[in-house]
Amino acid sequence: MNRTLTAFIKKELTQTLRDVRMRALLFGAPIIQLTIFGLALSTEIKNIKLAVVSQPGDAVFGRVADSFYASGWFVRVGCAPGEDPYELIASGRADAVLLAPKEGLARSAERGDGKMQLLVDASNSTKARAVEAYSKNIIAAAAAREYGARGEPALKFDVRVLYNPAMESSMFLVPGVMGMLVCLITIILTAMSLTREKEMGTFETIVSAPLSDAEVLLGKTVPYILLGLADAALVVLAGYLIFGVPVRGPLWQLALAALALVVNTVSIGTFISTVARNQQQAMLGGFMFLFPAILMSGIMYPVENMPKAVIAAAYLDPLMYFVRLIRNIMLKGGDAYVLWTNLGALALMAVFAAGLAYKRFRQTLN
Amino acid sequence: MGNFSIRTENLKKNFGAVKALNGVSFDFSAGLLHGLIGSNGAGKTTTMRLLAGLLKPSSGRISYYSEGQPAALSELRPSLAYMPQQASLYPDLSIDEHLEFFRELYRLEPEVYARRSTRLLNITRLDKFRGRRAGQLSGGMYKKLGLMCSLLQSPSVLLLDEPTNGVDPISRREFWEMLYDLAAEKILIVVSTAYMDEAERCSRVHLLDSGHLLASGEPRAVLKEAGASGFEELFVRQGAQK
Repeated sequence: MNRTLTAFIKKELTQTLRDVRMRALLFGAPIIQLTIFGLALSTEIKNIKLAVVSQPGDAVFGRVADSFYASGWFVRVGCAPGEDPYELIASGRADAVLLAPKEGLARSAERGDGKMQLLVDASNSTKARAVEAYSKNIIAAAAAREYGARGEPALKFDVRVLYNPAMESSMFLVPGVMGMLVCLITIILTAMSLTREKEMGTFETIVSAPLSDAEVLLGKTVPYILLGLADAALVVLAGYLIFGVPVRGPLWQLALAALALVVNTVSIGTFISTVARNQQQAMLGGFMFLFPAILMSGIMYPVENMPKAVIAAAYLDPLMYFVRLIRNIMLKGGDAYVLWTNLGALALMAVFAAGLAYKRFRQTLN
Repeated sequence: MGNFSIRTENLKKNFGAVKALNGVSFDFSAGLLHGLIGSNGAGKTTTMRLLAGLLKPSSGRISYYSEGQPAALSELRPSLAYMPQQASLYPDLSIDEHLEFFRELYRLEPEVYARRSTRLLNITRLDKFRGRRAGQLSGGMYKKLGLMCSLLQSPSVLLLDEPTNGVDPISRREFWEMLYDLAAEKILIVVSTAYMDEAERCSRVHLLDSGHLLASGEPRAVLKEAGASGFEELFVRQGAQK
């Protein structure tokens, strides 16, 4: 390897790893953030507060209500006899209230009616939709249990959930969050490192040394590509150990995807550093890119649900391609078509971003 | 070692509406210790950065000469060392780590590096502090380390922008003794300073004020011509005339 490049890598790594705060940012923060995001950013609705209102002695309704609590989605909320069910919802003591027919569920069913009512608080629409879906399944299962064949529908289907059979949201979110963290750390670190050199005056010393523009640029970026890759490996390992997120595809695919992303993000960080005058501006510039990039990446919300203009903008977001890639590799085992199309797009963007960063960097030097 | 000299003709540099240099012509001849003297905002740093090729002039020209023949800046670059006014070291790296980093930037052979670093550590008397980080050095030691990094490539042209700014008097004297030793090796040294007493230590002075060149020449000749007993008096008188 080129002597100058080796010297830069050694210097940057020594500087970065010697600083306790930087070590914490590089290796501590991703694990803490991954854990928090993995736990907090759950799309599963749990602990729904359910109250039941029925007449004493309604055994069938009692069993139906028990199956709600046994499902694990609902928690029991007590209510006094004669208490207004709407008041339970309005006060926030309950998210949903299951009401039995007045004459009792058994008698009502005998008449061929069997209608219960479920009051749902839809001030949180996501939660309300989840309550409705869970309730339908629980009622269907309870009807089949209580009334046998009468409860069976004429058409049946068997659902097989692939890649994430338990439908755990952490399986879906953790790979995306990994991309987000690597993106965040490499962009901010690169942008701030270069701007710090400008602020400290050390940049002038470097550029007045007999080095080519490419040597200076590579010297300042390659160390952060290496650190970004180390971070990517760390978060994959943490995702496996903490959340059990598997890596079903080959590791070389994962490494290629991470490399393509990190070249993009380090180039973006370099570009930001050529525009920013100080470290605060570099940090702000980094976040100005990161927030829309994360929102349009599909980490939290499906890109397909977004307006057309946003979808068009998302195609310029390297994180979107990486999220598709990493979910494909980690959860699906790395389908070749998904791999090469997204990796190709990411590589093209990396070439463009690196070229733009190099051009701006040269302008700054000159 | 090449015998380099630098000349500027009607050099101007504007930063927006601010005229940092307003048509100055210098002759930095080889083998002399030149002092660029002036108060804050006189245009010293701009001149230094223009000479080092870090800025492009708004108009006018800078000519570089090697052995009396015109040369491109790129030819001069491997022999040119520039020490900026701002702290130009890495606080987290030790003296040894700085020297090793600059050794690779200048692509020095191991034996050349060993000889030069030993000599420089002896001259600067920093050899006892080799493991100490730059951020933990005193102001004088810090400047000496900066100079040592610049000198590691054994330059023929040395541009020092206010190297003694904020340094205690003893360290300043040591610093100038080092510069005299270097000047004896016939390298071109340009030192900018706002300390008027340092002007008399130079073999040539160039007095700058608000982007204008007031005078150039040997210190005593300049003072004699201006009828002043010292450079401080000369500048005070110049200020009063404005």
